[in-house]
Formats: sequence, structure tokens, C-alpha cells
Amino acid sequence: MTEAEPVPQDIEIRYPEVVEAPRWTCSLGGAYITSTGVYGVVPILHAGAGCGIAQLLGVYYAAGENAAGGQGGTSTPCSCLIEKHVIFGGEDKLRKLIDSTIQLMEGELYVVISGCVPALIGDDVESVVREFKGKADVIFVNTAGFKGNTFDGYEEFLGAVIDQYLEPRKKKKKVVNILGVVPFQHVFWKGDLNIAKNLLAKIGVEANIIFTQFEGVKKLKEIPEAELNIVLSTWNGHKAAGKLKEKFDQDYLTFPSPPIGPKQTSEFLRSVAKKLKISKKEVERVIEEEERHVYRFTEYLTDAIIIGLPHPYAAFVGDANTVIGITKYLANEVGYLPEVVQITDEPPEEAREWIRRELTENIESAIKPDIIFEKDTFRIRENLRNRSFQVMLGTSLEKWPAAKEFGVAFLSVAFPMYDRVIVDRNYAGYRGGVALLEDLLAKYVGPL
Amino acid sequence: MTKDQTPHLVNAEIHLGDATCPNREERAHGINVYYGKASELLRDARSGNLKQVDRKFQQTSGCTLNFYLTVRVNTIRDAAIVYHAPVGCSCPSLGYRELFQHIPTSMGMPENYDLHWLTTSMNEKDMVYGSTDKLKATVLEAQRRYDPKAIFILTSCASGIIGEDIEGAVNEIQPQVRARIVPIHCEGIRSRLVQTGYDAFWHAVLKYLVKKPQKKQKDLVNVASMLSYTWQDRLEIKRLLGKMGLRVNYVPEFASVEQFEQLSEAAVTAPLCPTYTDYLSRGLEQEYGVPFFMYPSPMGFSGTDGWLREIGKYTGKEKEAEAVIAEEHRKWDPKLKAIQEEFLHIKPNGEKVEVLGALGQGRLLAQVPYFDELGVKSSAAMCQDYDNLIIDELEKVIQQVGDFDILVNTFQAAEQTHINRILDPDMTLTCPFQGSAYKRLKGVTRVHALRGDPNLWAQQSAYAGAVAYGNFLLQAFKSKSLQQTMKEKTADNYKAWYFEQDNPLYFRDNDEPVVS
Repeated sequence: MTEAEPVPQDIEIRYPEVVEAPRWTCSLGGAYITSTGVYGVVPILHAGAGCGIAQLLGVYYAAGENAAGGQGGTSTPCSCLIEKHVIFGGEDKLRKLIDSTIQLMEGELYVVISGCVPALIGDDVESVVREFKGKADVIFVNTAGFKGNTFDGYEEFLGAVIDQYLEPRKKKKKVVNILGVVPFQHVFWKGDLNIAKNLLAKIGVEANIIFTQFEGVKKLKEIPEAELNIVLSTWNGHKAAGKLKEKFDQDYLTFPSPPIGPKQTSEFLRSVAKKLKISKKEVERVIEEEERHVYRFTEYLTDAIIIGLPHPYAAFVGDANTVIGITKYLANEVGYLPEVVQITDEPPEEAREWIRRELTENIESAIKPDIIFEKDTFRIRENLRNRSFQVMLGTSLEKWPAAKEFGVAFLSVAFPMYDRVIVDRNYAGYRGGVALLEDLLAKYVGPL
Repeated sequence: MTKDQTPHLVNAEIHLGDATCPNREERAHGINVYYGKASELLRDARSGNLKQVDRKFQQTSGCTLNFYLTVRVNTIRDAAIVYHAPVGCSCPSLGYRELFQHIPTSMGMPENYDLHWLTTSMNEKDMVYGSTDKLKATVLEAQRRYDPKAIFILTSCASGIIGEDIEGAVNEIQPQVRARIVPIHCEGIRSRLVQTGYDAFWHAVLKYLVKKPQKKQKDLVNVASMLSYTWQDRLEIKRLLGKMGLRVNYVPEFASVEQFEQLSEAAVTAPLCPTYTDYLSRGLEQEYGVPFFMYPSPMGFSGTDGWLREIGKYTGKEKEAEAVIAEEHRKWDPKLKAIQEEFLHIKPNGEKVEVLGALGQGRLLAQVPYFDELGVKSSAAMCQDYDNLIIDELEKVIQQVGDFDILVNTFQAAEQTHINRILDPDMTLTCPFQGSAYKRLKGVTRVHALRGDPNLWAQQSAYAGAVAYGNFLLQAFKSKSLQQTMKEKTADNYKAWYFEQDNPLYFRDNDEPVVS
């Protein structure tokens, strides 16, 4: 070995995909975890034996230490492909697996999700799945780990459902679908979706949130009944919404994130009401009642905010869906000074302009944050150096640097989140802001 | 017992010139599908009739990379990892900055503990054109960013199938890199047995990291630790060996690269888990004359006695070992006795309580006799895999505690739920990899604690651990509300007919040609 020579520092340009600890898994993982959010679906992995358990350790546990349930984790059927399948093909193994799964596992829809190995050896998954027509509902998602990431997998799952499973239905007034919240990857997905459903119910709108619902497969089938798709993301769920528009002529309305706190929530309700032509008076009555209550409760927090650490410089690290709503709430309602926002989920170019706008024009504080799109955990840490922030909101990857290198108060709010346990805790809706402050202030408020 | 008729039980020789180890299937006739009496398993193994068969129904359970090899390599302190894989293969490593962080620095956690890994995120282009150039660039980037002592490359199914020339890339790039590059062949498709991944890891350690001894360190004992041993276990083992005037070289978890380099200088390699350590132990003996022993593990009182005595033998500390054993027994015997007493009275009719655990094969050998020591019966056991590395010791265990049922499966949650229902033991020792097997009317507790747990009650090794886990097990008999409530209030994921079958291996594939 000789002394290390200087190395060209252009890896970002030559191989932009090379990255330390990216905050997502592969498209097989994305489709798989999404499928387990629909109750009644049994995923069947056509993949190596470790592909499912990897998601248990690296997604379910990373999403607020969640167990994977009766269809996820080591309960998930898997063809566990090995070398002999690489040589002779894995189709026969898959056929036996689907057949035995239908015999053994309770479910209404079986979803074959295929990984790198069948894609590389050229298994005809579609033909094998077709053999089960008439025996059980089986569809397939042609993912391969090397084809994309979690977010692609979410779209692939929904795309497979739309293409292979959904039939046109008569549209119902004031019924909407909610898209754009990726199960587990968006750690607060269960709470966010249910809050959205409850909020919309208050203005007379019935929301099909698809995930976390009993009779989840029925909910899938009801997707075409909605008159509108509401997409709570600058970029996730857009592909599915586009497909639904094409196939069922459903219009869609997008928001930058699930609404966090009263201001965003009222804006959300007004926009939906306008689109669905719901009486303005009725909506304003709901908003007034909700706001009155939540701001009265916010008063309980103001001593802690003002004495604990008022108007702090703050750093934010996380996926666009999580960080946009939280940054806006803290800046626009709690007086935080957002110094830097790092968006870690690699949104496509066309979404970035919107994200930038949300985090500048729609931020009311005197300072506007540096907005950095960065997925690399090493560079994210570098980007945090030489700044003034006093509070950081990020992921459990930032937790120890926050404590040991930066010495600031810290709360995990995004994936991966190995340091908190989340079932339906969430920061969405009117009460969401207060919930965020309960968690955040506890990190730095001493005895008053 | 039947006389050994197999051409070989274990391929003992290690070929460090090769890129990687042979699979456990070849090296020791490993299998992971079996249900029957342990004595039958033994007889089949001795007569060479033990065959790997397929399952029609199978569940995701871990591969050579992703059954904690990732997490294990992740903890090596001054190293970096490059996953040469699609992005999903490395996601279990997202917890890397959390793993040991709950251990106070006062217990030996370094202030500046920091870990790093990169992935090449192999994509469609790589599948067509190959990506060794990207791998090389990523290794250089790891060198530039972290200046580590070693850079581990972990391979994947994808890199294996497209035939990436990993060694070629390593040889080409090593002169430009200060860190030692250590490629590990853990392509998931290479083997059904997750333990192949451990062998592959040790192969790479022996081939690339271990240095020729500069001086022999007569008081140094290599101990390869497992994830199922906690921080307190390490401290306890260090304390016991310290009393004998010995020092411990723990690898791989939390070790520094220098500790790997020094493995050749130790007086002996001692196991915590024999089959996990096996490949390393044999390699160190073959290459550097470091002796090793496989049994016993420091689990339970007599296991720990034997373990200390073996170490004493290899280090010339027999007398010191006896003194430590005597002293520890004086301290801990009354506590063990109290536990035994309490176990005797759990069942009103004086019968022994029955436990059923899912274990690695190495742990099985240590834990079944330990439970016997506590006065707890294991009339059945589950283990992840079986291979002939343990054949003689399995025979001894059967002689010692009597025959028992054995279900060999690598975390097949349905089969594990089935056997729990059918046998209905008083206590099931479980972990997240048994799916819904925990939903039951009788007892449930964890089979072991995890590495980062610094609490005294989470100890499992040596005398202190035998007492701590014994007490933990007693504690479990006082609690049933979680599993009973969940059983009553949540839906089953498997259909009822399955539990009416006698054999958990209902979906054994009898059509598929048997492979060895």
C-alpha cells in the first residue's frame, strides 16, 4: 500500500447515485411496504430470501419502530430465490408459492412483487400470475430493486392496482381519494391520513384514504368512485393521479404536504371546499370553531416557547412532505427562524420550483432559509456546519451529530426514525401543531 | 449411535487463495428444512441421508447479506462500508448511528464513535454495462471522505448475477487507497443458509485484515461476539478473564480494525457461538497456529465453568481459572438455587415448565443444557439451520438432556406459529422473526436481549447472565396479558385448517428434486 493519492472529487457528477445512507429503500421495498398498508392485501415477494426481512429492519423499524403485522416482515411469503433458480428460472417456484399462499394465508388480494433476481433472469411473472385467474385475485408489480426507490415502488404498486384491478364505477359527489402519503416512508402516515379523513368529514366530504382501513381491498375497488383526487405531496402520488385521470377521468388537486397546524389546515379546507363547490359559510363556520379551540389550547404553550427558547434559528432535514409543512408551521405560527432546510428525498426537477416557493414566498419570517436538495448523509452533515441554528428537526441519522457535534436541541420528525415509537402520532390538522410543540418543547424546555 | 458413513462431515481446510469460502451446504452439509426427533436428525446426518429439500410455501427470512451481516460489519469502528448493490439491500444499515449510542461512555462507549457506509445504488444501466468503475470510484470516495483503516465491500445478488469482477477492481484500486479494502461475497442467492454469510465475512477478514503476528500475546483471548450478546455480557466476560490475568480481543462488533489485525497474536480463540466463530477459529489455527476450542459456550453455570477451564488450558492459567470458578460459584450458586427453587413451584403438580425457543444452532447447544440447569424442560427446539459442525456436540446434548423434537427452519413464521400452537409450551421464547407466534394463552418472552442493551438485567452470559436471564424467565411467568389480549382481539393471518395438520412442514415440496 502506498500513501493515498488525491482523488477526484467529482463523484457527484459521474455517479450521482453513489450516496451515504440514502433515506429510502428500493422499488421492491416501496411497493411491498405500500401493499402492507392496505388491509386485506397479501404481498408475495418473488425475490431473494433477504429482500423482505431487509425491509423489516430498514423500513418498518425505521418508521418509528413499527412491527410489520400479519402480512409483513417474516410473515410475508417469498420465493427465496437461490442460484439454481438463476440457472433454471424461478417461475415454477413462484407458481407453487402463489398456490400455497392462497391456501394458507387469509386475504382478498394477492400482490406478487418481484425483485432484482427475476428481472435479471427473465422470469415471466405475468404469465404465472395469469394462471390464477378465476382462483383468486392476484396481480403483480414489476419492480426490481435496481429500477428505482421507495417512491417509485409506491407509484408502481398503485399503478398495478389501477391497471390490473380497477374497473370503472359511477362517480359519487363529494367523495375524494387521498394520495401522496407513502406508508411507513412518511412516518406519520397512519395519523396524517386519518386526520385528513376526519377533517374532510367535517365539511361533508367523504375521503377514501385506502390505507389503514378495514376492507382495504374494497377501498381499492372504490377508488374510481371519487370525483376528485387530493394529492398531499409536491411529487408523490402524482403519477398515480395522472393515471387515474387518464383511465377514469378523475380531476386532481395537489397540496405541498399534509396540512400542519391551523393556518395550513384552514387553507386546505377552503381549497377543497372551493373545488367541490361546498358552501363557503358552512366551511367558515367549521374553521372558526376549530381555530378558536386550538389557539386557546396553544396559549398553554406560550410560556414554554417564550422562556424556553423564543424565535430560535432552526435547521430542518427530511423528505419534502414532512419538512415543508413543519417548517411553514414553525415559521408562520411559532416564530421560528428557519435557517436551512435540506430536502432529502430527491424530488424531480419539476417539483423543486414549487418546493422552493413554499419555503420562501410562503414563509412569513424575516429570514428565508437556504434550501438544499441533498440526499447524502455525509454532505447533509457538512451542510449543517458553520451555522447559527439552535434547534434541529431531522431524522435519527441527525440525532447524534445534533447532540455531539452541534450541541443543539433535536427532534426526529422524518424517516428514518429509530429513536421514536410512532403508531398514529402525527402533526397534521388543527391539533397537529400543538402536538409538534409538545414533542419539540420537551427537548429543550427545563423547569419554568 | 450409527457409525459415521458419510464421505466427510466437514471440509476442514480453508483456502484463503479463493475469493470466498465454500457455502455451509458444501462445507458441512448444512440444511434448513427438517422436523423430527433430534436423534433422527443426528442419525440421518451420520449416515449421510440428511438432504436439503424445498418448501412450496416459504417466507422471507434473511439471506447471507441481510441476516445481520450488514449490521455487524456496520459496527466496526474505524472502517467504512461500500454496498455494491441496489439501494434496498443496505436499508437495514439506516440504524447505524443508533446501534450503540445508548451505552454510556462510562461503560466504555467512545466519545467519537462514528460509522459510515455508502451504496453504489446499482441501477438498470449497471445491469447492462456493469459497474466496477463505479465501485472503484465509490471506494476512492470512501477513502477521501472518511480516511478509514478498512473499507469493506459487501456484494449483492445483482452484482453476483451480472458477474462483477470484484477482486479485479480491488486489486486495481488498492494501491491508490490507504485503507485496506476487504471484499465480502455475500450475494444473497449463493446459499440458503445465513451462516454462509458469516463464513464469507471471516474469510475476508482472514484473507485481507489479519496480519502476521509481530509478537505472540500470551494473555490475549480472541472472542467473537454475536448480536445476541449484550454490552453487559462483554463487560462480564472481560471481568472474568481479567481476574485470570487475561485480556479479551472482541471482534467484530464494536472492534477497531487493529483488533482484527491482531487476531493472529492471541493465545486462543474462544467461542461465544461455536458455529458463528468456527470459520475464523479454524482459519487462525491453520494460518497462524492460534489454537481454538468450539465448546462449551459461556452460557449457564457448567458451560461457563468449562469455558473458563478451556481458556485456562490454552493460556497456562488453569489454577487461576479454578480460583475464579470457585469464587464465582460462592457468589452466584445461592442465587441459582433460589431460581431453581422458584421454577419447581410454578406448576402445582411439581412438573417442570416447558419452554420452546427459536435459536441459532450454536445457541441451541448451549441453551438447552442451561435450561436443564435451571430446571426448565425443552422438549422441543427450533433452530435456524443445522450443519455437521455441531454433530458431535448435538449427540452429547441428547445424551445429557434426553431426546427432543427439532424444527429446523430459518425463521419460517407460519411453521413457528404452528409448532407453538401444537406443542403449546408453557413459555415460548420469541423474537420479531416469528411473526404472530406470540399470540397465545401461555407465556411469551424474548429469546435474548440485544447488543446495545447496557442493563444488568439483560445479561445472558457467564454466571451473572445465567442468573439474570433465569430471573427474567421467572418474571415472564408472571405476565400473560399482552399475548392473550392480542390473540383474542386481533385476526389470525393463517387459515384454521393449517393448525389441524400434525406437521408444521405441511408445505414440504416432495416433487422438487432433492438437492444436497
